[in-house]
Amino acid sequence: MVPVESAERAAPVNAKGSRRLRRYLTIALTACGVLMGIAALVMLGRYASSLADFGRRHVIILGINAVAAAVLLGLIAVNLFRLVRDYRRRAPGARLRARLVAMFVGLTLAPLLVVYFFALQFVSGGIDSWFDSDLEQELSAALRLSRESLEVQSTSRLLQTGALAAAIGNLDGEALARALSVLRVDAGADELTVFTKELRVAASSARTDTLPPTLSEDALNQLGQDERFVALEPQGGARYQVRAAVVIPGQMPGDTAEAGQRYLQAVFPIGDRQGRLADAVQDTYTRYSELRFLRGPLKDNLALTLSLVLLLSLLSAATGAFYLARRLAAPIESLAAGTEAVAKGDFDTRLPPGAADEVGFLIQSFNGMLERLGSAREESRSSQQQLERERANLATILARLSTGVIAIGSDGRIRIANDAAGAILGIDLAFQVGASLDEIAATGALPAQFVDACRPHLAGELREWRAQIALRTEGARRILNCASSGLPGDVSGAVDPASDEFPAGAIIVFDDVTDLLIAQREAAWGEVARRLAHEIKNPLTPIRLAAERIRRRYLPTMASEEGQVLDRSTHTIVQQVEAMRDMVNAFSEYARAPAVAIARVDLSQLIREVAWLYRAQEGQPVVQLALEEGLEIEADAVRVRQLLHNLIRNAQEALEGQAGGLIEIGARQVAGGDRQFAEISVTDNGPGIEAELLTRLFEPYVTSKKKGTGLGLAIVKKLVEEHGGTVAAENLPERGARLVVRLPVRAVARETLNEARVARLEQRRERA
Amino acid sequence: MQKSNNRHPGVLATLAALVGVLWAAVLPAQETGLEIRSASTALDGGVWYLSADIDYRLNRDTLEALQNGVPLTFELQVELSERRRWLPDEVVAALLQHFELSWQPLSRGYLVRNTNSGDQRAHSTLFAALNDLGRIAALPLIDADLIDEDERYEVSLRAVLDQQKLPGPLRMLAFWDDDFTLESEWYRWNLRSGQPQ
Repeated sequence: MVPVESAERAAPVNAKGSRRLRRYLTIALTACGVLMGIAALVMLGRYASSLADFGRRHVIILGINAVAAAVLLGLIAVNLFRLVRDYRRRAPGARLRARLVAMFVGLTLAPLLVVYFFALQFVSGGIDSWFDSDLEQELSAALRLSRESLEVQSTSRLLQTGALAAAIGNLDGEALARALSVLRVDAGADELTVFTKELRVAASSARTDTLPPTLSEDALNQLGQDERFVALEPQGGARYQVRAAVVIPGQMPGDTAEAGQRYLQAVFPIGDRQGRLADAVQDTYTRYSELRFLRGPLKDNLALTLSLVLLLSLLSAATGAFYLARRLAAPIESLAAGTEAVAKGDFDTRLPPGAADEVGFLIQSFNGMLERLGSAREESRSSQQQLERERANLATILARLSTGVIAIGSDGRIRIANDAAGAILGIDLAFQVGASLDEIAATGALPAQFVDACRPHLAGELREWRAQIALRTEGARRILNCASSGLPGDVSGAVDPASDEFPAGAIIVFDDVTDLLIAQREAAWGEVARRLAHEIKNPLTPIRLAAERIRRRYLPTMASEEGQVLDRSTHTIVQQVEAMRDMVNAFSEYARAPAVAIARVDLSQLIREVAWLYRAQEGQPVVQLALEEGLEIEADAVRVRQLLHNLIRNAQEALEGQAGGLIEIGARQVAGGDRQFAEISVTDNGPGIEAELLTRLFEPYVTSKKKGTGLGLAIVKKLVEEHGGTVAAENLPERGARLVVRLPVRAVARETLNEARVARLEQRRERA
Repeated sequence: MQKSNNRHPGVLATLAALVGVLWAAVLPAQETGLEIRSASTALDGGVWYLSADIDYRLNRDTLEALQNGVPLTFELQVELSERRRWLPDEVVAALLQHFELSWQPLSRGYLVRNTNSGDQRAHSTLFAALNDLGRIAALPLIDADLIDEDERYEVSLRAVLDQQKLPGPLRMLAFWDDDFTLESEWYRWNLRSGQPQ
């Protein structure tokens, strides 16, 4: 029996077929064994009552019984083996089956044994009761009576024969034959024969033609002893005859064959009625004797038959017990197997429907329960898949975000961190998931500052916070906008039951707004410059004109001393107005963004031309060139010229008042990523840049020098960015500073770069 | 009353059986059983006749059965086979004769009946009956025309107690027990020369 449908489904087709075949074979064998047993028993029952037929077929019957018993024994052995094996393996239902089998066999055994012993006693007693001693005596008496009656007749026949012998006397030849014929008819004999001494027939007369008569050995012996012989002879068909023989008195004279002693044998029939009666008595007596004699073997046979019946019944009962036990235990076994399968997580298991009883109802309920469990599990699976998809989407979104996201679990360990977070903090956070904040802090300066800035917030109960964090690194200052929020559950998905009311984790979202802030500052400065240009430049011309007018009108009319004062004053005004105009022009230059005219420029030549203007004069630093020849770029020549002027002037200003100042200008082509750049470096041997200025060097009015507008390097940066290049400043290890400008060789690349930069800038601005 | 009647013969029967077993163990094997003393064939008037002298010695169990009214049937098995040099012998003719020996309580004698022919002879003693049974004279075997003069023929003779003719319970007993197994060895001789093989 296959208890579980799913197991049946899982089994290969041929295994299923062979199992079915085995089942049919078992059923056929059982049926065969039982049928054979029944047939044999019926035959036994039929023939046991008939003495004649029983023995004739007993071997066949015994054979059939033996085969049936062997078949049943084989089945029982197989079943018992299976049961023991299952019992040892503690297979589900094995104990129940064992109990059922023991119960069935026990239940069958007790009444069978009772019936067996009762039947044995009954049969034995029944057979014994056939033999009644009175009956036996009566039969013996009847036989004796018959025998005596016949003996009386025999004796009279013997006497009659003696008389006949006396009548024959010395007759011989024809006379003897004639006398015999007459005497036979007179005496009512069937046959009269005279034998010579040599036992030859001298003469004979018979009622019917028969074989030549003979004198039996018995008769001869008797005649030898007492000269007469008589015997009662059965003739078959309930007919009897009396054979009597006597020695014929008197000796035949002479030397012939007939001479000497002669014998007369006479055969007399017994009356038919008497014969039948006697025969009936003899028959009855014989049968009774035979029965009495066969009583022992008959009892043995019946005992054997009964034992066979008992054996076959027991074996059949045992086989049936196994079958029934299996049938009864099968639904329970299948339930047990089903429960085990469900316990292992197989919800597709369905039990075959049982009979319309309590167990069937149980199976039905079990299947219903599995159905509901299965659908619930299916729902949970689909929602989990949904969750997985959401999580994947979230991961994709997080990965694509330029905003850093870090989720921290209740244990202070990082659960989620996206690429942007790592990029902003300068470490690879993908490998740090699961690490504690302390471990993150130990990975570098930036993360350490980040963790230090966040820790006070995280330690507090209030998890909703927002802050701007400034991180300092060598040569850079980064501003991060941080926002944090508590998470309802642990990020790992496990909800801590103890902290239902308090957030178990926190998520920190942060953005590098350094560039944005710079852009904002730049925009603000542009606006200031534009206003200054507009508001200050306009009154300058009237001021200057007024001063010149005063000078022209009043200088000639004034005394020389007063005139000198006026002259000096107006001159100062005009000079200062000019200075202011220059300053305002510089501002407007910074704010204005004229159209860029891109053309092919020989950078080396251009540098050489500009540097020539700054060739060494008294007290001025020496300019040295280290140029790669034929370095051409696509750029606005005017802007590049201004850029070079600003750089050289910046270096000059840095070296002001210093003897032995040296400015080195280098130009070469370098590769940056997949693009080619022209790198211009301006190195001085001045005091270097103050560390705190280094990060803000390219902002307007950031300067350590006494002279200058403070816009020189800001304009440099603006020009460089217009060309899609980069500018950087660094202090040399011993003394001096170096400014490095990189301009893309190809305008296309520059445009692309510019666009990307503009787009990024826009994006940040929007976000901010 | 019946039981008391039965007990006595039961004890006697047990004693008798014990004595019988001891007797059977002491006596030589040929003391009971069937034995063919001699057998021969003779040609007379174009027909081969069989004569034999068989010694029937009944054992205790068969004797007891006989005297309790169970008729004993003896089977005389005769086979005439052609002796062949290269091939297995071929049975040319087979003859079965059945003789029934029964006790006649009325006449207190024994009846020997040839069940094939129906001939029967009554004897007042078992000795005479067994002698009569053992004397086979001029039993027609085969017509001389039916056999090839140039070939050699062998006659086989055996006498057995026919268990199939025993009453059922005894037959079943005979299946397990050798007491009702009476049979002689095969007696073989040359048909023409009469020389035993």
